[in-house]
Amino acid sequence: MEGAFRKVDIDIYDEDVLQETELYAADSRDPAAVLDDAKQRQTAVRSLLAKNDIPGALSVILDDAPYGPNVEEAKVITLQTLLTILNTTKATEITGVIKSLSLDTQDTLMKYLYKGMAMPGWGDVSGSVLLGWHEKLTEVAGVGCIVRTMTDRRAV
Amino acid sequence: MPEIFNLSQTPITSHAFNADRSQLVVSLNSNDAQIYTRKGAEWVHTVTLSEHDKLITSVDWAPNSNRIVTASQDRNAYVWQEQVDAETGKLVWKPTLVLLRINRAATYVKWSPKEDKFAVASGARAIAICSFDPENNWWVSKLLKKPIRSTVLSLDWHPNNVLLAAGSADMKARVFSAYIKEVDDRPAPTVWGSKLPFNTVCGEYSSPAGGWVHAVGFSPSGDALAFASHDSSISIAYPNGPLINIRLPSLPFVSLVWTSENALVAAGHDCRPVVFAGSEAGWQEAGTLDDVNAPKSPEARSGLGSHGSVGRLNTGAFAAFRNADTRGQSGSASAHVDSKPLTTHQNTITNVRAYDYSAEGVSKVSTSGVDGLLVIWDVDSVTALTGRLGGAHLR
Repeated sequence: MEGAFRKVDIDIYDEDVLQETELYAADSRDPAAVLDDAKQRQTAVRSLLAKNDIPGALSVILDDAPYGPNVEEAKVITLQTLLTILNTTKATEITGVIKSLSLDTQDTLMKYLYKGMAMPGWGDVSGSVLLGWHEKLTEVAGVGCIVRTMTDRRAV
Repeated sequence: MPEIFNLSQTPITSHAFNADRSQLVVSLNSNDAQIYTRKGAEWVHTVTLSEHDKLITSVDWAPNSNRIVTASQDRNAYVWQEQVDAETGKLVWKPTLVLLRINRAATYVKWSPKEDKFAVASGARAIAICSFDPENNWWVSKLLKKPIRSTVLSLDWHPNNVLLAAGSADMKARVFSAYIKEVDDRPAPTVWGSKLPFNTVCGEYSSPAGGWVHAVGFSPSGDALAFASHDSSISIAYPNGPLINIRLPSLPFVSLVWTSENALVAAGHDCRPVVFAGSEAGWQEAGTLDDVNAPKSPEARSGLGSHGSVGRLNTGAFAAFRNADTRGQSGSASAHVDSKPLTTHQNTITNVRAYDYSAEGVSKVSTSGVDGLLVIWDVDSVTALTGRLGGAHLR
């Protein structure tokens, strides 16, 4: 760690220090409720996948996705579920699926693609699948979508 | 057709014209500001304003009182006025000190509509509202501080000379009262409020996906506020109505100007000015002023060719890496690929300003960029373009 030699936390002497929590609006939902919600969505996605309704499944898992601190477990469940959807979609269908999503959902999907790419070897993460989705999503939503993923502090 | 002037090989940080557009002040990414004078079809460098000892970040020219204000990273601002020199009898630009009282760089400066005040944004989480003190012959400032949490990046004055919009790196656009008792008459009530003591916050809006607010602008009536943020989005706020967000498929904008009550031009990292049109009922992108499909030299169409992606991603460098990646081509194979983007500006546009304007609105805008170009665009030429752009959209 480059900062390891810094023994004194000078921020505690600064009354005006900018806290992480001030940078974005916190999720108003209770962490336990978010976790329950994520589990329910996982079940809903399974039944939608059985009917081969990929756009429906993506909307269910990505709308109001958990963000912020204290919801790590819900985030993990959401990522796992999302990876199942991404991995089972045929490459030829991806563009059509993405086009049917709302702008909000497209932005959230991009966040998860980057989250997945940052965790190589974790669970069902497959680099080639994620890159395939990334390419198609960028074609539809533009580079602006990537920029929003990078600026948004509401990390998934 | 846009008028294109190549002013320098260095980036143009900021530019401003005088009232009749015969002169132009620019900051060429240095400690000095340069004044250019229009001679026929070109701009000739005539005066250098040197007083700052760090980079000049912003310049503004008050059209009626013919004064220039410069703001710099050296935490100072100077007001420049053309005066007769006592010794030589010639007209020279003389600086007046401004007591800013900020401890970080000044980032942006803007004259108020009546030109009796100006506002300086800074990295010190503050905006200095400056007015002239004739007794001491300098400009004094009063600081707007609360509730700014980070560097202020842009400012714009409401036409009533009292309200000030500020865009900040804390991802918020705000509307403040910058009422100075000694200077201002009591302002008439506006949609932003009626009681307006200094530092009243009349509006606060967040960028939709947490981007720095790079640019703010009041509509000509002052009843709406537009802001562009680094999350590739542009928002239009109506204080008693909706907050409209438009997500862009392209790179973020860093500057914007309203051309009428229902239209604005924004430009930035995508290297070309884009027109937005709408009203309280909704806004959308109306097209670009930069007709990239216009016939240009043939090699300019190479690169990604029919892929349709315009701007940064269509450069030869990008194509070279792409070819190396997907086709294993490298070096000589891509050497013939033209490395110029299709847009007129070859790099980020830093500044867009109203160039030709009347009571009805703005008919021409000027842009300056990191590529050292100054371009003057006809605001109406977008109408012819929209049809041809069709569904191609922004990418």
